[in-house]
Amino acid sequence: MLLFILSVVLFCSCKRQVLYEEYDPVFKTGDDVAWAAKNLNETGWQQERGFTGRQVFWIRENTRLIANTGGALGLQVDAFGAYEIYWDGVKIGINGKPGSPTVDEIPGTEAMFFLIPDSLSNPGEHTVALRSTQFSYPKLQRGVGVKLDTYVNLIRRPLLISSLMFIMAGAFLVASLYYIFLYFNSHKKQYPVLIFSVICLLFFSLLVTEYLKFYIEIPYPKFFIRLEVIGWLTFSISLLVPLYFCIQFGIKRKYLLICLLFSVLLFIYIRNYGHYDLSAIYYSRTMWLTMLLIAIDAVYRKQKGSWLLMAGILASAGMNYYLLYDFGIFIFYTCIVLTMLYLHTVRMKKIEQEHSGSLLLSSRLQLELLKKNIQPHFIKNTLTSLIDWVEESPKKGTEFIQALANEFDIMNAISEQSLIPIRQEIALCQMHLKVMGFRKEISYEWEDSGIITSATIPPAIIHTLLENGITHNTPQDNGTIGFKLSFSQSDDFCRYTFETFGKNRELQTDRTGGNGFRYIKARLEESYPGCWQFSSAASAQGWTSTIKISNKLK
Amino acid sequence: MTILIIEDEARIAKRVERMTAAHFEGNAVIQICDSLKKGMDFLEKNSIDILLLDLNLNGKDGFEVLQSLTSRTFQTIVVSANTENAMRAFELGVLDFVPKPFDQERLSLALSRATATKKELSSSLRYLTVRKNGSVRLIELSQLIYIKGAGIYSELHLVDGSNTLHDKGLDALEQILPAGFERIHKSYLVQIKQTDQILISSGTKYALKLKNGEILPIGRSRYKAFRERIALQEQENHS
Repeated sequence: MLLFILSVVLFCSCKRQVLYEEYDPVFKTGDDVAWAAKNLNETGWQQERGFTGRQVFWIRENTRLIANTGGALGLQVDAFGAYEIYWDGVKIGINGKPGSPTVDEIPGTEAMFFLIPDSLSNPGEHTVALRSTQFSYPKLQRGVGVKLDTYVNLIRRPLLISSLMFIMAGAFLVASLYYIFLYFNSHKKQYPVLIFSVICLLFFSLLVTEYLKFYIEIPYPKFFIRLEVIGWLTFSISLLVPLYFCIQFGIKRKYLLICLLFSVLLFIYIRNYGHYDLSAIYYSRTMWLTMLLIAIDAVYRKQKGSWLLMAGILASAGMNYYLLYDFGIFIFYTCIVLTMLYLHTVRMKKIEQEHSGSLLLSSRLQLELLKKNIQPHFIKNTLTSLIDWVEESPKKGTEFIQALANEFDIMNAISEQSLIPIRQEIALCQMHLKVMGFRKEISYEWEDSGIITSATIPPAIIHTLLENGITHNTPQDNGTIGFKLSFSQSDDFCRYTFETFGKNRELQTDRTGGNGFRYIKARLEESYPGCWQFSSAASAQGWTSTIKISNKLK
Repeated sequence: MTILIIEDEARIAKRVERMTAAHFEGNAVIQICDSLKKGMDFLEKNSIDILLLDLNLNGKDGFEVLQSLTSRTFQTIVVSANTENAMRAFELGVLDFVPKPFDQERLSLALSRATATKKELSSSLRYLTVRKNGSVRLIELSQLIYIKGAGIYSELHLVDGSNTLHDKGLDALEQILPAGFERIHKSYLVQIKQTDQILISSGTKYALKLKNGEILPIGRSRYKAFRERIALQEQENHS
């Protein structure tokens, strides 16, 4: 890309081989072959074409060739219509075929190149004369441009420009395809990726459309279609690029900003309808300003990559100042797209890290769940109680073993899942209470309400709350500790409320089940990233924990 | 014999209580607290001989609690599921560590250590925990020269010339101290490494000169055993 920019800059500044002066063209309606002559008295010729309708008119333009250090001289004419062209009275070519009041013209293209005979290529005064008709756009007074250079240069220059531009276009096409595939193939559909792909595609189209003129002959009546297309492409890019950055940098009220931008662009389109280049300049300036606003906001909020965007914006402004609009705008876009590409890779890296992090976390959580029942505090205390029960009453001991086996069974069944049916979780809790009942010899009561059988929940999170409840509470005055799980659901969210009815033990320091809460939060984040809330606090009857899961991502 | 059991699992607490009662054949006053907090409150107001403690030694807090307990007059026996921390508990001066699940035999062994006068040779104690102004200080055993009985307390005499009081009596400390320490008198316990020579004066009075020049009396009844220990130590040093 840098090489590209460099070559464009070098290309623009390469030394001219042909030096000449040109004078303003003059027009005359009518038809006379003598008007092609080199030294013609031009009194009575007009500065403007006037309304020629279906009549033939002549255009004459004088030039003074100062020097030609290159090869054969060539002539480039930019004009609307169909014409025969004369150089110093000698016909050197045609562009389309001029019509007559009775015969339709064959339209020529806007730009045409002619080889000038060597005998007429000496330095000095020369005259270009066009015998022309312009049946389409009768009211359009389009200027006539005449440009002298070596014929080879005239032909080769567009080739050089288009080859460079198409290298860039190809790069954007590949980027566009890559990102569109990426979008459709990644399990997490990310809008910025899609937007980025579309921007690349638009940019590719813009480049192709812009340089289409060099190798496809467009009859002048269709000349504006291309400009219209370019206009709309520029319009879309000017809208989408800021949108992309708004999302990337998490700008507040981005849709308001984008709506505003859209209105401004639309206003520019309507107000400058027909002035294609002007519209495009205004579009990109509006976009530039919007981008500057976004960059300032992002820098202010210390967003990653914001300084890079700022640098890109300022660099493009700098280059725009020194270069022609045509190149400048592409360099501006290139800067922006490069910034986007860089930011995108930064973002992808972050996503990748998050992904591998989440995988790691998932397996860690699995391990943590499995460890719950083999950690010494649980298993050794259980076994000690069990021995005691067996010694005292083998029958009760067997019952205890059965309960323990059941709890292990459920644990085993759920350990590798990230979401389990709520009924399974409740069964796990009830089994745990049975085991703990044998151990602590406290009567535990379980109650649930509003449970929907189809609901799912990350494994062992209610179980963890239950464990906390058992550890941190002593029985109520009636000798029991009660637990109640209630479920409620609305359109936007569902909520689990888990209540412990007991007397809270006095808390020692801040050991409020730190590990347990971390497990619960990690599990919730794993299954409901970003759309859960967890709270846990002492209440009048004991302890209340709530888990609220909003439906946004479910 | 007054015994406190700190154990939050009712079933296990009752088991410990039953087995302790059986061990002492009914000659023990046993109190149960179902949380560490309640146990600490109880210890503020009551004095006990043996503490049977269920301590979740995971994390730093457990060890801080243990340090403050081993600095007290009573002997601490930890009854815990977390066996991987047993070594550290011994270093801090617990008398024994009974891993769960346990039976009568294992618990009785621990309880008999608390009442035995003969000390353990395999002790892995590393620090004496000393309570001072509300905080607990760890004194490495190598810093000790000798310990002097001071009523129900003992006075630790350290290499740096300072001395400090320990809540445990000389008998209780003797129970937990490792092999390098020897009781030479009813009021003195010395670190053998710190001894220089035995002085015998007229009237079969024995005294021990320490490396720092201090002279301590040797109890007549303990002289013979102590001389053998010294000889044994020297042999070990030569070989």
